[in-house]
Amino acid sequence: MIAAGIDIGSRTVKLAVIEGGKPILTRKALTSHDPLEAVRTLMNGVEYDAIVATGYGRHLIKDYLKCAAISEIKAFALGARAILPRCRVVLDIGGQDTKAISLNESGDMSKFEMNDKCAAGTGRFLEIMANALGFSLDEFSGNALSAKGAAKVNSMCTVFAESEVISLITQGASRHEVALGIHQAIVSRSVALLKRISTPQEVFFAGGVALNKCVGVLIGRELGIPVFVPEDPQIVGAYGAALHAIYTKKLLLNIDN
Amino acid sequence: MNTSVEPLINDEYTGGPPNKRVLAYLQAKREEGKKIAGVYCGYAPAEVMRAMDIVPATLCAFSNATIEAAEAILPANLCPLIKSSYGFIITDTCPFYGISDAVIGETTCDGKKKMFELIMDRKPTHIMDLPQLPDEEEALSNWTAMIRKLQKFLEATFKVHAIDEQIEAAIKDTNLKNGMMRKIIDFAALKAPVVGWREMYDLTFLSQGLTGKEVEPVLSEAVRKLEKRQAAGYVYGPHGAPRVMVTGCPVGGDAQKVFNIIEEAGAVIVALDACSGFKPFMMDIEEDTEDPVKAIAEQYLRIPCSCMTPNTRRLTEISRIIDRFKPDAVIDVVLQACHSYNIEFHKVGEHLQKNHGLPFLKIVTDFSQSDVGQIRTRVEALLETCN
Repeated sequence: MIAAGIDIGSRTVKLAVIEGGKPILTRKALTSHDPLEAVRTLMNGVEYDAIVATGYGRHLIKDYLKCAAISEIKAFALGARAILPRCRVVLDIGGQDTKAISLNESGDMSKFEMNDKCAAGTGRFLEIMANALGFSLDEFSGNALSAKGAAKVNSMCTVFAESEVISLITQGASRHEVALGIHQAIVSRSVALLKRISTPQEVFFAGGVALNKCVGVLIGRELGIPVFVPEDPQIVGAYGAALHAIYTKKLLLNIDN
Repeated sequence: MNTSVEPLINDEYTGGPPNKRVLAYLQAKREEGKKIAGVYCGYAPAEVMRAMDIVPATLCAFSNATIEAAEAILPANLCPLIKSSYGFIITDTCPFYGISDAVIGETTCDGKKKMFELIMDRKPTHIMDLPQLPDEEEALSNWTAMIRKLQKFLEATFKVHAIDEQIEAAIKDTNLKNGMMRKIIDFAALKAPVVGWREMYDLTFLSQGLTGKEVEPVLSEAVRKLEKRQAAGYVYGPHGAPRVMVTGCPVGGDAQKVFNIIEEAGAVIVALDACSGFKPFMMDIEEDTEDPVKAIAEQYLRIPCSCMTPNTRRLTEISRIIDRFKPDAVIDVVLQACHSYNIEFHKVGEHLQKNHGLPFLKIVTDFSQSDVGQIRTRVEALLETCN
């Protein structure tokens, strides 16, 4: 059976197609102002026996494709567990949300926490801060990691933090140190979420922000734990949705028989 | 079976906001020449007002529309209920405030206390000093004294007088109403519930506005209809829907978005544990005591609001509700900047985990629609853990 999962996030749309439980095709596109169009382009020429939607735009797609939808929290839990069967804690930092999920031994979700309703301390925050410092996203992480010290950034509100960053730079702080300060600010928030759901243990780090090496390294240091970043951290939710598609399809077949 | 059934209250207001029904009632009272006292909170002792033939009216507090006006004066980072209440008053858009002859407030939280100061010059306004350490022995005598003071305020303002026999009669009237409401609430507790949150909410709202004697026919009729629904095998909500208990801050008007999201996610709300829900009806006031005002004070101090410390009654009450309504998950709704409910969630969560093993979720929200997407994700994820 070929199953597909589609994850409509606030910044990117992700598609995973799997056969025999393994990914055979993955695609990504920007969500843009027209997520339906983004999905149409992404799905072009893709065939599947079952599909499940997840992510912020899941209900839009659910109606469009007449398919089931699951929350991204469940999707990330399923995807993470399939990639790393021993994992008990998942951290997903996306474009506008941060989610910390704990799983029990059999992989069922036992607790989850999300950031407050604004996008403070998420991927979008990092993008804007990198921009304010004149770094590309790749340079941003690398330069932060190589900084000797950190300039502390206190604001988590994107708008306030931008002013704070500008004021730090005008005071003569190096942009490397400010970059590290920004990363530390994100990390302290994520660590607080992680502490609420579980005692410190290995974290499966997914979502677009997991592409940023500095965030993962700092989380590991702060909690004294290993941080596992999958090969393609952005696709974990779509992969989880595809796995769920197999599950629901099988359930349906059983009912039909 | 999930066909349409006759509404529990079938009148011209059915399907609309329940405050219109109560407003019509109050306007009729007003035409009869009755005096009306505006109230904000479950701690306002209605029995004392009823004993003097004064009609309590719950004032508007749940609309996002009046918040912008309020924020010209009040800080944005304040409880939406307080901002909305104040906004209604300064924009003169709360008809309940308009027909009230006086207003009664309580010192439940700092935001309300200071907001009351800003509206005191508009109408005769009386603030009651609510003891917040309910287990101290002085709490009862202090609160009894405060209720007597309210009685004096009402006597002076309205030139009416109440004797203890009239207060005793009002107590019995409340108990009659509470008993009827508990009968109705039992239908939500059924394994296959025959009533949803909206009809429950309509009935609790109406019952808070009327006397027991006045509302008794409506409640009796509702019980008959519920029995009929049960006999016909009617079930509210989707087959096998997860049962959700909602606890926390009062929820009404625009905050009902949370209830809608819970239902849209496929669950059924079986218990509304808030002052806007079942809380006022769960217990009776002791009858035929030597001092009816003391009996009232005793009962009101038992209300498990998070402004009380310690508030162990809330955990006991939550356990009682869980035993009775058998929810599959609990959602604690906290209004933005309500520190006491927000902090108390930690204890509630621990209690639910340790003693009931139920999945739970805290939702911090305001009256805007801005967080509907995020709330939906959280609620759906919570319900996914119930499957």
